[in-house]
Amino acid sequence: MSRSYLFVPGNNPAMLQQMDVFEADAIIIDLEDSVLDYDKDAALDLVHNFLAQLRPQHLEVFIRINAVDHPQFTQDIKRVNEWKIDGIVLPKATLYSLQLAASKTTKPIIPILETPMGILDAREMATLPRVLGFLLGGEDLTKELHIARSKEGKEILYARQHIIMVASAYQKRSIDTPFVSTKDFEGLQEEASFAKAIGFSGKAVIHPNHVPIINRIFLPSEEELQEARRILKKAKEVGSGAFSLDGKMVDKPIIEKARSIIKQYEIYTRK
Amino acid sequence: MAPKIINSLDELYQIIPISKYPNISFHHHLRNGDYVMNMVLDHYIKHKVKRLHLYPSSIFPVHTKLLKLLHNGQVESITTNYMNGPVAQYLSQHPIHGGIRMQTHGGRARNILDGTSHIDIAYIAAPFVDMLGNATGYLGKSKFGSIGYAIPDSEQADITVLITDDLTKNEIANPEILGKNVDYIVLVDQIGDPNGIVSGTTNITTHPIHVKIARDTVKLMNELGLISQGFTFQSGAGGTSLRVTKELGEIMRQRQIHASFFSGGITEHHVALLEEGLVEYLYDVQCFDKVAIQSIARNQKHIPISANLYANPVNKQRIIKDLDVVILGATEIDLNFNVNVTTDSHGKIIGGSGGHSDTASEAKVSIIVAPLLRGRLPLIKQNVTTITTLGKNIDALVTERGIAINPSRTDLLTKLKHSKLPLKPIDELLNIAHKMTGIPKPIPRQDTVIGVIEDRTQTIIDTLKLVVN
Repeated sequence: MSRSYLFVPGNNPAMLQQMDVFEADAIIIDLEDSVLDYDKDAALDLVHNFLAQLRPQHLEVFIRINAVDHPQFTQDIKRVNEWKIDGIVLPKATLYSLQLAASKTTKPIIPILETPMGILDAREMATLPRVLGFLLGGEDLTKELHIARSKEGKEILYARQHIIMVASAYQKRSIDTPFVSTKDFEGLQEEASFAKAIGFSGKAVIHPNHVPIINRIFLPSEEELQEARRILKKAKEVGSGAFSLDGKMVDKPIIEKARSIIKQYEIYTRK
Repeated sequence: MAPKIINSLDELYQIIPISKYPNISFHHHLRNGDYVMNMVLDHYIKHKVKRLHLYPSSIFPVHTKLLKLLHNGQVESITTNYMNGPVAQYLSQHPIHGGIRMQTHGGRARNILDGTSHIDIAYIAAPFVDMLGNATGYLGKSKFGSIGYAIPDSEQADITVLITDDLTKNEIANPEILGKNVDYIVLVDQIGDPNGIVSGTTNITTHPIHVKIARDTVKLMNELGLISQGFTFQSGAGGTSLRVTKELGEIMRQRQIHASFFSGGITEHHVALLEEGLVEYLYDVQCFDKVAIQSIARNQKHIPISANLYANPVNKQRIIKDLDVVILGATEIDLNFNVNVTTDSHGKIIGGSGGHSDTASEAKVSIIVAPLLRGRLPLIKQNVTTITTLGKNIDALVTERGIAINPSRTDLLTKLKHSKLPLKPIDELLNIAHKMTGIPKPIPRQDTVIGVIEDRTQTIIDTLKLVVN
């Protein structure tokens, strides 16, 4: 599980070399939008050599390949299969494209849901065991919907909540769309706080300077930690699956959630 | 006796024989916007004065007439604190008979005041001068802020010449340069372009690597207990150093911590903290931007100081002896924490100490901030190409891939015993860099010595070697 998923262009040697210093929990090396067509072959070679020699050990590494309808897709997936990575990030995913990609690799996959069909297919996609989670592509989705993308994000609220419901139901990761204004740190803070509040497990990042804010917001707060510790302490004392705490009913799902919060905190603060 | 006011340098040299006084000094407050050194040296070229000993506090790319003097073989020696641009490149490749002497800002003041550096004529670009020869740097049409580096020259030179484009009939209150030390005032059309003082590095960086280094530096300062009520601080004008100042300001704001003073080269970012009441005083030896110039002219808590009061090691009142922490840059650092900011890895001169060695020597904690890799070059070397600041005066190195504490600072290491900061021995950082870059091949160097690095203690700590294309 990761909080921050930092996109790094696959054709930029300096960024690749530095990608592990920004304290992102996960890196998504991009072979798609940030690499122009004439540079895609070179990017594959660069990423191949980089991972062979300098793959960072303490963070998750994913590769965003080109979409299944792109001429580069076949070559991408063939090369990516050779690499030691934590999974593939599949753009413009639908159930069909996911099944096609899954048939050509054994790697875990994070589909990017950035089309209306992708959003609608999410539930069926979630039934595939190798689907690790979903990443919302808010910019492309609004383009497909022919609507403007606003800072408030009301236009993608349904998509956000749909992804969270599906991911939660099938115990997958839910990764919010990146915040695209690189210098608006207040806006980033608001959006990331909202994403956490409605249930996303993490957020994609397009600028390294955003990482600390996202990591901080998605780290369980002191209040959440204290509450979780109280619940687990009481559960241990009572020794039964259900009890009352501060006049509220506590049962198995709440105890599990408390365990999860403690575990997340330990993982994130150990890094 | 009031100084003589004259209308041109030609007139000046009718009064004083130009060839009789070969030891001449200049200051660098106008930085790359300075016109004065060129206009003076033009006369030395015309008069074919030989065996000159030059004492400019710094040399910038704009100083092309100096290049002409060098081509003509008229220069015997150069003593300065910093140089870059064509003159630095030329001197790296063409030895001069008396050599180059690189000093620190504090060392220069010391040497001038104790007579080790004897100045025959101090040529001082002065933006605002009264009829009595009193002068200040922060008023006038070409104002550049503090005139601190020129004050020791004005006090000790045999002949002090103020060159100004703004002579006032009203007596200047609280002048930085005192009229009693001035012999001549020369009127010219323009002493320089104040736009040229902006160093180009005074923007706060948003580069993610530099931002990370700055954040980790502030975390380090915090864990060392350096951010506390009444603390004192100095940072350079480089992007990362300024970012440290900004991040530090945010912590001070959050925790309502007030600093006693910030010192050194001052920028708008320092001024903002002064005006917010988070810093009590700015002790300013050099302004790096227009906001700082405006501030020093109007805010009594923004105080211009001389190089002597700033950093002269034998001045008991020197400001930097009370510094808690200084943030500095590095071109190279070695396993003994020696720092080079004077040459590149080929030995070509690209800078100089300025106040680097002074502040590192005096501050309770000196922190180097620099990326571990610049392109494909590791910051850390087995041995630096040129020692600017001795490793014994450097306490910590903060890079994007870890923080190294000088092992001699066992007190700091004890304080950080339970820290979660990425602390690593400096040789481990070197290994990390080498893993990415490979081990760079040694660069062959010439044996011919072209100059020396003189520490503020008047000790020669290294030499400059000839660079061959």
